[in-house]
Amino acid sequence: MKEAKTARTEIKTVSWNRRTFFEMLAAVVAGGVAIATPLVAGVVTFLSPLLKKNTSPKVRVALLSQIPDDGMPRSFPIVADHVDAWTKYPEQRIGSVYLVRNKGEAEPIALTAKCPHAGCFIGYKPGDDLFRCPCHTSAFKLDGSRERGDAEVAPRGMDRLPVELRSVASADDNEAVEVWIEFIDFQTGHKEAIRTA
Amino acid sequence: MSSHLRSLVDWLDDRTGVRSLLHEALYERVPGGARWRYVWGSTLVIAFVAQMITGTFLWMAYSPSTQTAWESVFYIQYEMPGGWLLRGLHHYMAHAMVVLLAIHFAQVVWDGAYRAPRELNFVIGVALMLVVFGLSLTGYLLPWDQKGYWATSVGTNLASQAPIVGPEVKKLAIGGVDYGHHTLTRFLALHAGVLPGLLIALLVPHIALFRRHGLHATEPLKGPDAMFWPDQLLKDSVAALGVLAAVLALTIYSGEAELTAPADPATPYNAARPEWYFLFLFQFLKWFPGELEVWGAFVIPGAVVTLLFLMPWIGRSRGGHLFNVGLLVVLLGGIILLTAQAIRDDYFATWYERTEANSDKYDASQAFLDAKQEAEHEAERVIALAQSPEKIPPTGALTLMAEDPFLQGPKLFTQHCAGCHTHEVDGRHKFDIEFDPKEFSRTAQNFGLNLVEIISPKPTAPNLWGVGDKLWMQSFMSPQLITDRNHFGYENSPFAQGEMVSFIQEAHGEELSEEERKAVDEAFASISIALWLDAGTTRLVHPDGLKELEEQATRGRELIAGGLAEVLESGMSCIDCHKYHDEGELGSAPDLTGYMSREWMIEFIRNPASERFYGEYNDRMPAFAPHDDPRMNQLDDKAIGLIVDWLRGDWVMPETVEAPLSD
Repeated sequence: MKEAKTARTEIKTVSWNRRTFFEMLAAVVAGGVAIATPLVAGVVTFLSPLLKKNTSPKVRVALLSQIPDDGMPRSFPIVADHVDAWTKYPEQRIGSVYLVRNKGEAEPIALTAKCPHAGCFIGYKPGDDLFRCPCHTSAFKLDGSRERGDAEVAPRGMDRLPVELRSVASADDNEAVEVWIEFIDFQTGHKEAIRTA
Repeated sequence: MSSHLRSLVDWLDDRTGVRSLLHEALYERVPGGARWRYVWGSTLVIAFVAQMITGTFLWMAYSPSTQTAWESVFYIQYEMPGGWLLRGLHHYMAHAMVVLLAIHFAQVVWDGAYRAPRELNFVIGVALMLVVFGLSLTGYLLPWDQKGYWATSVGTNLASQAPIVGPEVKKLAIGGVDYGHHTLTRFLALHAGVLPGLLIALLVPHIALFRRHGLHATEPLKGPDAMFWPDQLLKDSVAALGVLAAVLALTIYSGEAELTAPADPATPYNAARPEWYFLFLFQFLKWFPGELEVWGAFVIPGAVVTLLFLMPWIGRSRGGHLFNVGLLVVLLGGIILLTAQAIRDDYFATWYERTEANSDKYDASQAFLDAKQEAEHEAERVIALAQSPEKIPPTGALTLMAEDPFLQGPKLFTQHCAGCHTHEVDGRHKFDIEFDPKEFSRTAQNFGLNLVEIISPKPTAPNLWGVGDKLWMQSFMSPQLITDRNHFGYENSPFAQGEMVSFIQEAHGEELSEEERKAVDEAFASISIALWLDAGTTRLVHPDGLKELEEQATRGRELIAGGLAEVLESGMSCIDCHKYHDEGELGSAPDLTGYMSREWMIEFIRNPASERFYGEYNDRMPAFAPHDDPRMNQLDDKAIGLIVDWLRGDWVMPETVEAPLSD
């Protein structure tokens, strides 16, 4: 047993010449390619999410008549078509937005419910004078600014989304004003609002 | 050993060297004899083996996609025989591993077992610890329930704040810009393939090096040296059995491993917390406002992990070793303190009274507790639905929730109706059965009883609790009840002095003889039964009882259609104001044909000012969907249907139960 082992591990060296050099080179290259090819194919696929871009759909959120100018935040779901890899969800709820219309204002402001700190869902209880994040206790005034400024865990106020009012007329001659917003997703954790790419 | 067996072993040994391998594995010298304090490393290995076994079998039943992840875990937990045990063992063994890891690590540092020549093995050990944390993080998401989804969302958002490469790291981790199918496929690959592979790849040299250096015996030695087999192995096995017993006890007595409602990106989950052993990190972040976050999330944890890796070199001197032990104590102490603080913050409202000074803290805690209870309620319901003969549709369990009046009704009512209407029991009904508060929601959903109260402080419209049921019908024909605040007596009601009220009050006038009163009472009783049966809110009535009621209803229908005129002094009947099937006309009062039936209520909410309902008498109720063009409407038909079904108590009852109330 012992003898066999020694025999097998006996070190033999090769003499260097051009032939063996090319042999070695060929061995390394061939073996390397054999292993690298599947690896590269895998890595490319693995990295493919980096090429995906975030879209910011424009979404109809509510009728203007649903948001009286009483300065009270009202929560509305964002409903849009959503594609997740191979599945397309028609009219899926993809997020939530608070609309606030102050006294005498024609247009509401839209605040996304995603916390600028770590992306938790900011809550609002009717009657409260603050929005509150349930995770790390950030609090925001009803205009979205931070209650305690820089002492707040959140690095910036709630993100405002662009609002657009659109009049629609139906076939039966009725008119209504719709509230549309551009549902932009912002990066969390920064002082500035940076769109996720 | 028989000679045949011996020759077989000889043959095998000749070709594999198995004897010496086994000898090497078992006859390790244990200086000073076997001791209980040497068991921790082995228990970790056994725990990992247990995770591999349970994990492999869970894997065989798990399906990573957003429509199947929760669903397959539900199926493992509630439908597959023994599934709850399998999942419980995997879940709680993961907890046990973290505890064992802490003990093993603390012991090594305390004893200075990282000193030369064991530095490299210590480094491998710290790397192993990080891999175990990675396994735990990735495993938390896989059930794709609200808890895992929102906790992981916070975790990956934090990762995206890492300097420079953060956003890219997040995209790679979640497999795109949003959480979805590829988040699950990636997390599963990490959890079941990459990380366990890495763990094995590190564990093999960890154990090999441990054997090479020998056991780090603790002085003073207690006795003569012994061999690993059988002395120490026995102790190790007994310890492993103890760990298993603890895990089993947790699985059985603390309930099954939790499965909250399916992940829903659009529904907030205010009780999102990481698993308890990461709570300290979660709490730690509260200390870093604004952009200082990067210190709490990266710089300090990064520095601590670097220090851990450097411990063997720091600990070369006596002072260095003391520093390491001090760091260990500070870390463990800090973790315990932060964890306790996090728990105290969350459960503050259960332990303290609310005062002016602590109101913010109290409210935040109350919100957490409410959210937790709400989540439990939702999870219970969706599990009950998935277990019902309805099963889960191909679109997933989220559809089951979105289309369930029991869950969606209260939300929609709060949003659209509760400004004016209240929905409170208000002592109106007496139940024949007693409700166990713990079983409250479950009992209610099983019996189709709508017990959810949504109380509007100043209602300016009828109380919609029990709308369309027997008592509702009776109340509108009772001279006392019709004018109370639950019916026409709400604030500023134009109907409180209206024709219906005076009709009912006159019909029950004081001058009636006893015989006449009896006839009037009987007539109105029959009418209310007829309306009730036509409304179809009779799900709680036993079929036999319903048959008897049907006779009374037939008489009631005749009365509504004109017969009442013969009973009443005034000579009037319902169809003088209301329309009822072919009798009477629309225009002065709501149509009684199918009054409070599903169709009637949906049309009513669509447009209460239509001629079929209150017409010009409708002074306040908005028309929620008066237009054919859905873009013009506040509510779509689906939402109205959910509100109506909820008000009427029409939802899937998960279990077949005997109707508790019969008339």
